[in-house]
Amino acid sequence: MVYPASTRPAQGLGETPGDDGAPVLLHAQGIVKSYRRRRVLNGVDLTVRSGEVAAIVGSNGAGKSTMLKICAGLASPDRGRVSVRGRLGYCPQDVGVLDFLTPGEHFTLFGAGRGLRPAAASRRGRELARTLDWSVGRRTLAKDLSGGTRQKLNVVLAALGDPDVLLLDEPYQGFDRGSYLDFWKNVWDWREEGKAVVVVTHMLSRLDRVDQVLDLSPRTGTEATL
Amino acid sequence: MSPTFRTLRMAQATLRELTRRRGVLGLLLLVPLVFYLGRHDEPGQAIRFASLGLGFAVSAAALFSSVGGREIEPRLALGGFRPRHLHLGRSLALVGAGLAVSALYALLIALDQDVRHLGAVVLELALTTLVAVPLGLLLGLAVPRDMEGTLLLISVIGAQMVMDPAKDSARALPFWSTREIITYAVDGAGAGSLAPGVAHAAVTAALLMAASCAVQAVRLRRRAHMQFG
Repeated sequence: MVYPASTRPAQGLGETPGDDGAPVLLHAQGIVKSYRRRRVLNGVDLTVRSGEVAAIVGSNGAGKSTMLKICAGLASPDRGRVSVRGRLGYCPQDVGVLDFLTPGEHFTLFGAGRGLRPAAASRRGRELARTLDWSVGRRTLAKDLSGGTRQKLNVVLAALGDPDVLLLDEPYQGFDRGSYLDFWKNVWDWREEGKAVVVVTHMLSRLDRVDQVLDLSPRTGTEATL
Repeated sequence: MSPTFRTLRMAQATLRELTRRRGVLGLLLLVPLVFYLGRHDEPGQAIRFASLGLGFAVSAAALFSSVGGREIEPRLALGGFRPRHLHLGRSLALVGAGLAVSALYALLIALDQDVRHLGAVVLELALTTLVAVPLGLLLGLAVPRDMEGTLLLISVIGAQMVMDPAKDSARALPFWSTREIITYAVDGAGAGSLAPGVAHAAVTAALLMAASCAVQAVRLRRRAHMQFG
């Protein structure tokens, strides 16, 4: 089914409309965003329910990262609204970590925001890292990690504290194939746990079984449900 | 989880980041020493220049820390930190580090100079740190990159060095108190006075802290289009 972005019916948070059943955890409605005179998002809608995975795809400059930042509340749209039920976790495309802290120190810092004690944050961070086939070194600073491992750190920080909605902006850049598969296994696990997951990607392969795709390519500008 | 816990975690992370940048830290520590040694033959001037060098070094550290945190702070705010936790935590770390450096220079001056009121010098170095931290944080929040902030900071310190402190307009500069208190400490009560200097530093530090805190709160505000259920 394909819905023109501007005509998809609006739904409120937590509603269980129609045959979908699960509550809506993320609802973006009528998002419009322009940079100078160039409109990158034109009335885009996105609804993600508990236990759903959505992919945002599109060519370079189509507004994928902008859409995710708007959903995370890190950028303002010119028009439109975003409603979120529960807590958000966000993984940026560019590595947004502190170069001179170790991964363990990142876990305790981000864990403090989520209300976790240092020992609990460290334990949970290492558990999540292991699911991405990453054994966290105690002394290595973030600046000395490889690009792929820094991105794993970003994914772990986004998932720390058990957020209800996960927004992941091309999170597997620099991953080797094994880590890429591990990442998607994590995504399926998060879906099973009832989280709403949104992944920005420009490489949607058969492996990436998602529940819906928001295609922001200029020629379509539509939302499709698989 | 208490707000104090989050503030202290932020302070701890900032302090670790700062102290592990050893090359930058060493160069920043060197600035006041170069200023001091450059005018070593004139005790009053040497202390004034060392103090302004300290003000520059601490402000620059705060500026770089503020600009360096720009990427991660929105994520931390999204993850449960309030802007005030982040701002206060960063400020605490920088003030702590700055006071440690000012103590080193106070010790150097105590051993190397014959000053009438050594206590006033110690107080002045501490107040310079308290002004320098929010000044650097504010510059870091106001400019797009650290290069622009550094140039602005050089302009402020340069103006402070060349402007006659007796002029009323000199009081608009953030480190006016530094020169005023040192004049009192070195030349005695006839030449300068302690109370106006301390008051100027206190008011300047409070205004700069309030301004930087407000800019931080605006930057990390919850956007109007977001609704949480």
